[in-house]
Amino acid sequence: MKTKHIAPFRLKLWVYGLTVAVFLAACTDLSEEVFSEVTEDSFIPADSDVIALMASAYTPLRFVMDWQGYFDLQEEPADVIVTPTRPNGWDDGGIYKRMHFHTWTNTDWQPRNTWITCFNGINNINRVILQITSGEYPVDESQVDYIMAEMRGLRALYYSILIDTHGNVPVISDYTAELPVQHTREEVYDFIVSELTEVIPLLTDVVDQSTYGRMTRYAAWHVLARLYLNAEVYTGTPQWDQCIAACDEIINDGKFNLSENYRAIFSTNNEDNPEMVFAIPYDRIYAPQWGGHMKMLLPDHRYVFGMETQPWGGSGANPQFIDSYHPEDNRLKDTWLMGDQLNASDGTVVMTLTKDMPSIYDCEFTEGFRCGKYEIEEGATGSLSNDFPFFRYTDVLMMKAESLLRTGESAAAAQIVTDVRRRSFDNPADAEVTGTELEGNTNMAYGTLAVDGSIDDPGDQSLVPYGRFLDELGWEFACEARRRTDLIRFGVYQTKNWYNHTPKGAHTALFPIGYEELNTNANLRQNPGY
Amino acid sequence: MKHKNQPGMSVSISNYTLCCTLFFLLCTLWSFAQEIKGTVTDGAGIPIAGASVLEKGTTHGVVTDFDGNFEIVLASDDAVLEVSYMGFKTTEVNTEGRAVVQVILEEDLQELDEVVLIGFGTQKRGDVTSAVASVKSEDFIQGNVRDAAQLIQGKVAGLTVSTPSGDPTSDSQIKLRGLSSLTGGTDPLVLIDGVPGNLNTVAPEDIESVDVLKDGSATAIYGTRGTNGVIIITTKGGNYNMKPTIEYNGYLSMSAIARKLDFMDASDLRKRWGEGYEFNGANVEDFGADTDWLDEITRNAFSHVHNLTFRGGNEQTSVTASLNYRDIQGIFLKSDNKKYTGRINVGHAMFDNKLKTNLGVIVSEQTYNALGDGTSFNPYIYRQALIRNPTEPVRDAEGNWFERDVYFYDNPVGYIEETIGENRYRNMRFDFSVSYDINEHFIVKGLYTRKGNSNIRGFYQTKKHVSTVKYGQDGFASRGTDDYTGNYGQVTLDYNQSFGKHRVTGLLGYNYEDNTNEGFWANNRRFSTDGFTYNNIGNGQGLELGEAGMGSYKDSDKLIAFFTRITYNFDDRYLLLASLRREGSSRFGANTKWGYFPGVSVGWRINRESFLEHNKWMYDLKLRAGFGITGTNAGANYESLSGLTYGGYFFNNGSWVRELVPARNANPDLRWEKKEELNFGLDYGFLDGRISGTIDYYSRKTKDALYNYDVPTPPYYYGSILANVAQIKNSGLEVLLNVIPVKTDTFEWTAGMTYSTNSNKIVSLSNDQFQLTNDFFDEGYASEPIQVSTHRIQVGQPIGNFFGWKSVDITDDGIWLIETPDGEIKPATETTTDDRQVLGNGLPKSYFSWNNSVKYKNWDLNVNMRGAFGYQILNFSRMYYENPTVDYNTLNTAYDPVYGKAVLSDVQRLVSYYVEDGDFLKIDNVTIGYTVPASLLKFIQNCRIYASGINLATITGYKGIDPEVDRDGLAPGNDERDKYPSVRTFTLGINLTF
Repeated sequence: MKTKHIAPFRLKLWVYGLTVAVFLAACTDLSEEVFSEVTEDSFIPADSDVIALMASAYTPLRFVMDWQGYFDLQEEPADVIVTPTRPNGWDDGGIYKRMHFHTWTNTDWQPRNTWITCFNGINNINRVILQITSGEYPVDESQVDYIMAEMRGLRALYYSILIDTHGNVPVISDYTAELPVQHTREEVYDFIVSELTEVIPLLTDVVDQSTYGRMTRYAAWHVLARLYLNAEVYTGTPQWDQCIAACDEIINDGKFNLSENYRAIFSTNNEDNPEMVFAIPYDRIYAPQWGGHMKMLLPDHRYVFGMETQPWGGSGANPQFIDSYHPEDNRLKDTWLMGDQLNASDGTVVMTLTKDMPSIYDCEFTEGFRCGKYEIEEGATGSLSNDFPFFRYTDVLMMKAESLLRTGESAAAAQIVTDVRRRSFDNPADAEVTGTELEGNTNMAYGTLAVDGSIDDPGDQSLVPYGRFLDELGWEFACEARRRTDLIRFGVYQTKNWYNHTPKGAHTALFPIGYEELNTNANLRQNPGY
Repeated sequence: MKHKNQPGMSVSISNYTLCCTLFFLLCTLWSFAQEIKGTVTDGAGIPIAGASVLEKGTTHGVVTDFDGNFEIVLASDDAVLEVSYMGFKTTEVNTEGRAVVQVILEEDLQELDEVVLIGFGTQKRGDVTSAVASVKSEDFIQGNVRDAAQLIQGKVAGLTVSTPSGDPTSDSQIKLRGLSSLTGGTDPLVLIDGVPGNLNTVAPEDIESVDVLKDGSATAIYGTRGTNGVIIITTKGGNYNMKPTIEYNGYLSMSAIARKLDFMDASDLRKRWGEGYEFNGANVEDFGADTDWLDEITRNAFSHVHNLTFRGGNEQTSVTASLNYRDIQGIFLKSDNKKYTGRINVGHAMFDNKLKTNLGVIVSEQTYNALGDGTSFNPYIYRQALIRNPTEPVRDAEGNWFERDVYFYDNPVGYIEETIGENRYRNMRFDFSVSYDINEHFIVKGLYTRKGNSNIRGFYQTKKHVSTVKYGQDGFASRGTDDYTGNYGQVTLDYNQSFGKHRVTGLLGYNYEDNTNEGFWANNRRFSTDGFTYNNIGNGQGLELGEAGMGSYKDSDKLIAFFTRITYNFDDRYLLLASLRREGSSRFGANTKWGYFPGVSVGWRINRESFLEHNKWMYDLKLRAGFGITGTNAGANYESLSGLTYGGYFFNNGSWVRELVPARNANPDLRWEKKEELNFGLDYGFLDGRISGTIDYYSRKTKDALYNYDVPTPPYYYGSILANVAQIKNSGLEVLLNVIPVKTDTFEWTAGMTYSTNSNKIVSLSNDQFQLTNDFFDEGYASEPIQVSTHRIQVGQPIGNFFGWKSVDITDDGIWLIETPDGEIKPATETTTDDRQVLGNGLPKSYFSWNNSVKYKNWDLNVNMRGAFGYQILNFSRMYYENPTVDYNTLNTAYDPVYGKAVLSDVQRLVSYYVEDGDFLKIDNVTIGYTVPASLLKFIQNCRIYASGINLATITGYKGIDPEVDRDGLAPGNDERDKYPSVRTFTLGINLTF
């Protein structure tokens, strides 16, 4: 009797229990349902994802011509580009003045952007290396060594930027849970050299579409050559012979040539140019980060080039630099937009650009020549399709020439420089330079400018050793995001006055580490002088 | 029935005896059981339906009908009737053998028996132990009110409602007891008849009452959504046994810009040219015309609103149906808002009223012009009207829009006329609820709601728009749609019982909520013709050229909770309320999905103590204390999960492939922000309700406040992470005082005052895991060309600090002289970002309001005043336009010498000169109404006509348009230059009840 009564009771209990259990399970389920996102848990990598993964190592490089990017960092503090206050603004919280005066703080964006972007690239590389070596992304065994070499070579390239801008940066070669530790500039230098030396033999020597914009053996040599060229700045010990050797590795393989036409190097479709040792590909649709022209051209340049946008018109050329050119040097007109600007459709004068810029505090729209080096195609928008010639063959030749010049072989140096100049002079005689000339002083009339364009404070007037060679670099590579590095190497950056700039001390050769970066990593110590 | 058991009655009696006895009995009944008729009305003679009429000392009771009539059979000759109705004083009437009685109920001003909504239930006002406010429809702000919040503007101490934008599509801004979260905003939880919604779910005219739960002990039962308070909206509903009525409320109104900025007109500009000023950019030359650009794009805005509500019910069924139409014009051309809202609610009672069901539907459709892609009015147009050269004509000689190539300088009239756009929103909500009285102690209730809303947007810029004329778009079209669906369900069990002097109530509940959002958008350019506008988006050639865009998304989240609450009342003297909610959100990390939110409060009704019982002048004195923990949910879905994204393109062997990059770090410990709040309160009432009010003090501390922290990579994959780190403190005082200074039969003046303070401090921005080396971050932004942040959020400092350069003087050349934090004075041209300091704070330290209601015979007058004190405003209009060096049109004051010394010739800068005191007092809402005497009306029960004004006058030293500026977010007090100006509105309206 007892059991008979208990059975239905138990059954009831089961039913209740089950109901409660189902209720609790169904009505307390808080798992997230993901639809239009990818989470690491839900992601199953496909073969094509390996290149997508590696892509993230390269894309940060497009910051070179992006807003407040590497171009700003290398040109605004130097003696070629000035961005004064203009009718439509360009005070921008005083950032361009701080860049010009070398009074930047650790909250300013240009130095921070370079740090953030380079470490973004480096971290992506370390992550990709981890994800591939750990088997998280399955890769064909035969490919692994090559991919690793390409990634490590590219990582060295990012460090070659950071050693120049911030110097004492953490060297991070793996993806660990530890907070990165800071390294000295010398340690960073040694790291780059050893990495490149190790990976160069593994990198491809093929130069065609399949390796365009990728880390080839030649791009790696180029990184190394640049590092050796600036070795004295970075470590105190010059490496001119090493630089020559690295350049020769590129020259002797004969895969690159000088472009016959100077402007072709900077054209919209410059991907086939024979100078491209390492290009950063841009595209107005796919890779729309080239906004540099918006900062340099005037709103009315849309009529001059038939653009589908209205540029903002800020940065102009320091008139002292314009005055340094040989009058017959075609690179003057190939680089700068000067004088009358003609309407593309009817040839009428839209406006007239004048050379002088009275003051960084107050300039008219049309004051100051503008950089027109990079072709503006008809219908151009806020982003250009020109690829950026980050490493070009002329640079290989000029690095070799500078190293020769500095090691007493001025005649050989002059020959290379003359060869480079030839395409830019109608009269071949004007292209000729001599070793003695290159060893001599600069053409630049350094000193700060009064509003009327006269020099009001000449400042340090001592001779710039190899100053004329510095001029050659200026004329050839104006607006190629490198002038700051050259000025430091030639001892001008921290000593001379130009435009409205006076020297602020040796520490300015390095930028301060950003406040957010210091905030997030207690291992970092600020660079000296900040 | 008493007589049945009278002594002497027997079951074994003869038929005769039976007959005699029955006859005798009937006679007895007749003689004692007298029937009495009567009517119950209020003081104004309006019948009260549903009032309870009870023979005292018995269980004999009836309820009045629609006309207030009742009939009751009395058991005794000298019976006393007890007549009661909610909101009125219970009245006893001695029948004294009368056959007909007239009962007039007096309104109960003490309101202690008034029912207050406390979330998942109600409480008598006298039993409430936490900070709760209740505003009934008769006390609402009247006139052109944009949403439910504006109805109670200035009526609830500690609840700040402001309407900084004049855009008819924008909502009120609400802030309760300061800012308790860095990323969670200040939006309260809004419940419409118990279901989460927003301030616009139902039309303001359709609202019966608004209850506000302020402190943590009250809102803890709403867990992760309780931090910013809970606003409980009760719609106008039908009742059982209610005479059917139809109410019509309608009004017409006219709005105009509250104040215009004094920009140079053509003659001012010509005068400057005559004085030798030379300009670049906009004002470079005289184009010969005389155009008032602001006038060209503004208008006197006319609006009309109509609301019809039907309600009624019999013993089993009650019905409410309402229809609302609003057609609101903005002061700018093509700025508007049209909305239809319909609502039906049917209640039905069954099984002896034990089972009650309710079915409801709310549907609305809203349409407005889009002058921005997906937005309403585009404020850029307003800027263009301000900065444009007043000598330019609107059109050139050929009839085209007059355009010039000046940087960011477009013809505002052309911008409006060449833009075609419409956004349309549809909302619907289906409710079903059921409640069952298990016995007199237990009620079980269930509620299920299905919510949905969707919108479709269309936007087109013609080939005459500057997007083509200057930027080569060749016609630009955009379309988009979003869709939301949500489910909300809740089950509760209510318990209530009395044991002698002990009264206990209990609540057990579960609720479930899910939300799903999805959407799609596309845009295209280069159209064959303007004729399609946005209706044939595939026609544009931009798609083939890679210039078109499209996107879609979908996400969802869930919120589940169990909750319980008990209240205990001893002898109406000692009160206790305790609640606990266990809530989980899918947004939280795997380790921390669930959290507990307790709340407890106690009350002591001092006036009920024996030592005060004989104080007739004091009818209420209650001390309250409460503590509660509430939360703030993570702002977006999936924030705890690691994320990957296919980002930008990479050039790989002749083709472009997308890169695969991390998009978010996992944070399995992501959890709710935890706000702890202590509340002490005092309720008081003297002299029969002539003086009453509350005083509350609160102290809230937010722990684990969410902020997006920058983190090092590596070890992290992504450079920032949402984490619970910061701590914020708020404290303040709230005072409410209601006074009835004059009250006679024909004249009554009621005054209500609220005063509140708030002080706020960042306690910490770091913890063990996430640290800032600097103890601050910057917020707010002064856009081009100034380009610096406006606010600094710093440990130890209040939120809302303006951070910039302190201007103290000007050089003879018109360059700012800046005092650095070290006290050094130097020209602004030599300063750096390190020379900035705190320049003021954008959050008011105190708020005040004073609401007056005067009734004289059939006339009524309401005057509402509001003010905010102890805060600063960064006047962007002056910062950008009070400067003669800028190359656009400027304010006339740009030519006044700064500090009486020199005209400015510096660039635009964020200096303290533009940080102004914002203190103000507004006469905000004045309404005068006349109720037509009932004797004059035949078919109409009630008719009232009124005239009303909103934002009528402002007393302030602030130089901008309106000192009531945007105070939302972490950069409060920025009076943006493009802000849609606030408006002044006049309204004529009528209320009719049939």
